[in-house]
Amino acid sequence: MPRIFGIDIPGRKRVEIALRYIYGIGPAKALELCEKARIPIGKKADDLTDDETARIAHLLQTEYRTEGDLRREVSQNIRRLISINSYRGLRHRRGLPVRGQRTSTNARTRKGPRKTVGAVRGKEARAAAKQGS
Amino acid sequence: MARSIKKGPYVADHLIKKVERMDQTGQKRPIKTWARSSMILPEFVGHTFSIHTGKTFQSVFVTENMVGHRLGEFAPTRTFRRHGSATDKTVSLK
Repeated sequence: MPRIFGIDIPGRKRVEIALRYIYGIGPAKALELCEKARIPIGKKADDLTDDETARIAHLLQTEYRTEGDLRREVSQNIRRLISINSYRGLRHRRGLPVRGQRTSTNARTRKGPRKTVGAVRGKEARAAAKQGS
Repeated sequence: MARSIKKGPYVADHLIKKVERMDQTGQKRPIKTWARSSMILPEFVGHTFSIHTGKTFQSVFVTENMVGHRLGEFAPTRTFRRHGSATDKTVSLK
């Protein structure tokens, strides 16, 4: 397995597919990379020469934001939204969908597994529930 | 869908006028506004806005980070008070 750019080890696949295993590289950027690094599309990642790997690594370092840097940028953007008290920040803080989706049903990706909330019946039970919360 | 760059940011005219006038006279009072869809311009930084929430006014101090957002983003229009929890009101009803 070739190691490209530090820790990323794309498998026994065509280069343009293997490159997508890098965080921040999708279908479009993978093809773009192959073209810029002058690597024939369809070549297996295992068959890459050292020179070719070096070219990809160089391109990744200079022209693209990937892995840790990209993750950091994303989380910084979210932190900014939260710190200025914007509506989007509030939705991030609550773990609810940010872009105006419905939450009556669905939204399970953001909300996580279903938590059933029942009505608390009876005076004593309510008082107990209140103490608990 | 983002707004066309060609058009420039949408800002209610009266807000620009008010901010300009306050900058000239050097006084700072909160600006009461209903224009929630107005973009926050760099000139607004340091001013306080009372933004309509549909019911009351939420006062928001504009900082540098907020430029480019809209006023309404900082004044939520909905309040959510938890499902099924025992509040004083529901407890005293029984």
